[in-house]
Amino acid sequence: MTADLLGAPGGSTESPGADAGEVDGIAVPDEERSGTMLLARMAEAVYWAGRHLERAEGTARIVQVHTDAHVDLPVGEDVGWEPLLAIAGVDSEFAERYQAASGTEDARAAEEDVIEFLLHGAGNDSSILASLTAARENLRTARPVVPREAWEACNNLWLSSNDLLEEAHTREGRVRWLRRVIAGCQCIHGILLGTMSRDEAMSFLALGQNIERADLTTRVLDVRSDSLHAPGADDPYDVVHWMAVLRSLAAYQPFRRAMPARPQGGSTLRFLLQDDRFPRAVGACLTEARAQLKALPHSERAQDACQEASMVVASAPVARLTVGGLSEFLEDVELALGEIHQRVDETYFRPSFVGWEPTAAAR
Amino acid sequence: MDLTHRSATLGAVEHPSQTAAPEAAPTAPPWPTYDPSPFYDDLVGPDGTARPWAEALWHHFAELGPEALAERQVAADREIRALGVTFTVYDGGVGVDRPWPFDIIPRVIPRDQWQVIEAGLVQRLAALNLFVDDCYHDQRAVSAGVVPADLVSGSPNFRRECVGVDPPGGIWAHICGSDLIRDDEGFWYVLEDNLRVPSGVSYLLENRMVTKHIFPEMFRHYSIEPVDPYVGRLASTLASVSPSTGDPTIVVLTPGVFNSAYFEHAFLAQQLGVELVEGGDLVVLDDDCVYARTIDGLERVDVIYRRVDDLFLDPEVFRPDSLLGVPGLMRAWKAGRVALVNAPGAGIADDKKVYSYVPDIIRFYLEEEPILWTIPTYRCSDPEARARVLDELADLVVKPANESGGYGVLVGSQASPDELAAAARAIEDEPNRWVAQPIIKLSTAPTLCADEVAPRHVDLRPFTLMGPDGAYVTRGGLTRVARREGSLVVNSSQGGGSKDTWVVDSPSDASLAGGPA
Repeated sequence: MTADLLGAPGGSTESPGADAGEVDGIAVPDEERSGTMLLARMAEAVYWAGRHLERAEGTARIVQVHTDAHVDLPVGEDVGWEPLLAIAGVDSEFAERYQAASGTEDARAAEEDVIEFLLHGAGNDSSILASLTAARENLRTARPVVPREAWEACNNLWLSSNDLLEEAHTREGRVRWLRRVIAGCQCIHGILLGTMSRDEAMSFLALGQNIERADLTTRVLDVRSDSLHAPGADDPYDVVHWMAVLRSLAAYQPFRRAMPARPQGGSTLRFLLQDDRFPRAVGACLTEARAQLKALPHSERAQDACQEASMVVASAPVARLTVGGLSEFLEDVELALGEIHQRVDETYFRPSFVGWEPTAAAR
Repeated sequence: MDLTHRSATLGAVEHPSQTAAPEAAPTAPPWPTYDPSPFYDDLVGPDGTARPWAEALWHHFAELGPEALAERQVAADREIRALGVTFTVYDGGVGVDRPWPFDIIPRVIPRDQWQVIEAGLVQRLAALNLFVDDCYHDQRAVSAGVVPADLVSGSPNFRRECVGVDPPGGIWAHICGSDLIRDDEGFWYVLEDNLRVPSGVSYLLENRMVTKHIFPEMFRHYSIEPVDPYVGRLASTLASVSPSTGDPTIVVLTPGVFNSAYFEHAFLAQQLGVELVEGGDLVVLDDDCVYARTIDGLERVDVIYRRVDDLFLDPEVFRPDSLLGVPGLMRAWKAGRVALVNAPGAGIADDKKVYSYVPDIIRFYLEEEPILWTIPTYRCSDPEARARVLDELADLVVKPANESGGYGVLVGSQASPDELAAAARAIEDEPNRWVAQPIIKLSTAPTLCADEVAPRHVDLRPFTLMGPDGAYVTRGGLTRVARREGSLVVNSSQGGGSKDTWVVDSPSDASLAGGPA
């Protein structure tokens, strides 16, 4: 239960009260009017704080697990460090910075370069440090609507991650640094879970978190799908690869408990796509995102997109996908996730306000 | 011009008694070389021993020793960094976030003095509010000859748009940050009233929080007045001016994340539990009501605690190029559909020329004698005063009449001949822009410097709240300290630091704080 932040908020959406308003031109106080509200700008800030925190933690987990798995494989059997760049979606940015500069486009990317780029590289907007910085900036903006302790914990994590960056340059120090990031993000989640009201701001934070989580799981699967393309081949390292996939999503133990099979393509895919209880499974993220949306006003379109994505994932022909077409399928999932974000963005963060007359509840 | 006010008032006052508490055991001084003379020091008397109200502190620091003290300063700095308590300074147009500078040695003020100050601040703000209201209505003070007409209509802070407006309770300045100083005999003076968008209260609250963590044991020795109630009083003051019945929707309006006081704006919104809005988050509709752009559409806003200067509030009325404000905001305020705190135009009463008239303003509106003392002020617009100022420039402080933040202040005794000559030219060119005051030998407080505790000059900014239902003064205030030796400039924008300030229950000479109420 630790990794999952948020249960679905209780209560349902209240429709704007039609009973309050004016009597003979005199404003009648509306008892529903609580004096609290959530600015669109604040909602956007907490949403992005949720996404960036999740991205920082997710990237840290993936780098850490990849380092562990790399050590397990004999030299020559390892998959190199490029998959990390692909998962983070920054391969072209990396090539631009490092390989173009050194003129060694064909050579395998050096471990030090990849790690540096993923942890804090210039030109990588989704590096761990850049994500922490963005999370901090967003929480700073959103300070009035998030618990003070959560901002402090984020500020502290950002400070220490900067202060101790030097140590991340060795494999041994890197493990410590990454653990600190993961623990720091979990600490922030814990504070939010334990001290923040289940209000609209919380819903936006959880929404961002779950969309980012689903996205990350999808991308991890996409990159690992390469190793599926030797059906029937008896790769002695197959299990190692799939264990690494599960571990990088903190899913190994939950998988073991939920699935009788040893980690292989089919069972892993089924678990990480369709499980409804493991908080980093795409299906569970979508269920959670939809529950959060239900607590928000005007969320019908975004809910529809969420349901659409859920259906895509639930109907995945997992057995067939292990033989081929996984990449194309995951692309569809990514598009469906992008659509949810798009609709959230249009509904809440960038509404034109044309035709948005003050509701009765606002008077 | 009455320049004898201070001596006339002070002549009747006894010097502070320095009787040590009988139970005080002789202890080795914590800082053997500490010598504040020729200045008055809050903690250390002229004979080098602790003042009665500082004795427990004194003993504690002696026991603690210099190393432990330095360690606690490090701990405090670390905590401030972790809490993210910052202020922004501008260097070559670029804003840089700096950790809030905090000196861990608290400043101690006896409660009996504070009670006089408190009464004096409330009296002062009440009179200033009556003055502002009068400025925008009949200008009785002008017709009665209390202040010259030019002081009102000729002021750059006079807002024509405010004429005839009646804010709730006739209160324009709901929140005032006053700057107080002490002279070499320990007498308190008001140096400045800040009625526009005074800042610093968040640091006052955070300083106390940090002190509680750094010196928890000291709170056993003292009964220290809490500062926390401020936020609750601020909330009720804001709510009390709401134009709507029922639970008002209150927001804090900030110029944005790049403003030097953004930390405070976010802090106050968080503490009040209200939204922190920027101009772009608000809109005024045809019904003259102000609405916030929320995730649920537009929601009506009743009270705006605005931390944006008058001239940026409403581009329809003031600066058309301002992107910080809300078009139509003045229209909504004048229609009584939204409360602005402080009201636009309140700054008419806080420039340094008005300052020189405040004692008369108090007498005129309240028919009372002023409780707090003000510093005699030469108005350079007056030919006789100007001649004297130019003559004695090296012994005076010259200030622009309408600036804040310590900008443009020249301390004659510390200025080079070139600077003095430039100041003289500036005064002759635009006499109206300048006032001058005698140099007060600003009091000191023990401050942890590089590797020793040394006297540094301090001032004090308490905050006064005023609404239709009553007034409240913070217990103590934000002590600002000039960290460079000999410096009189305490503004954080210019390298000043800060201290926690304790109002404690210890008998002293209350007459240091002001005349009889």
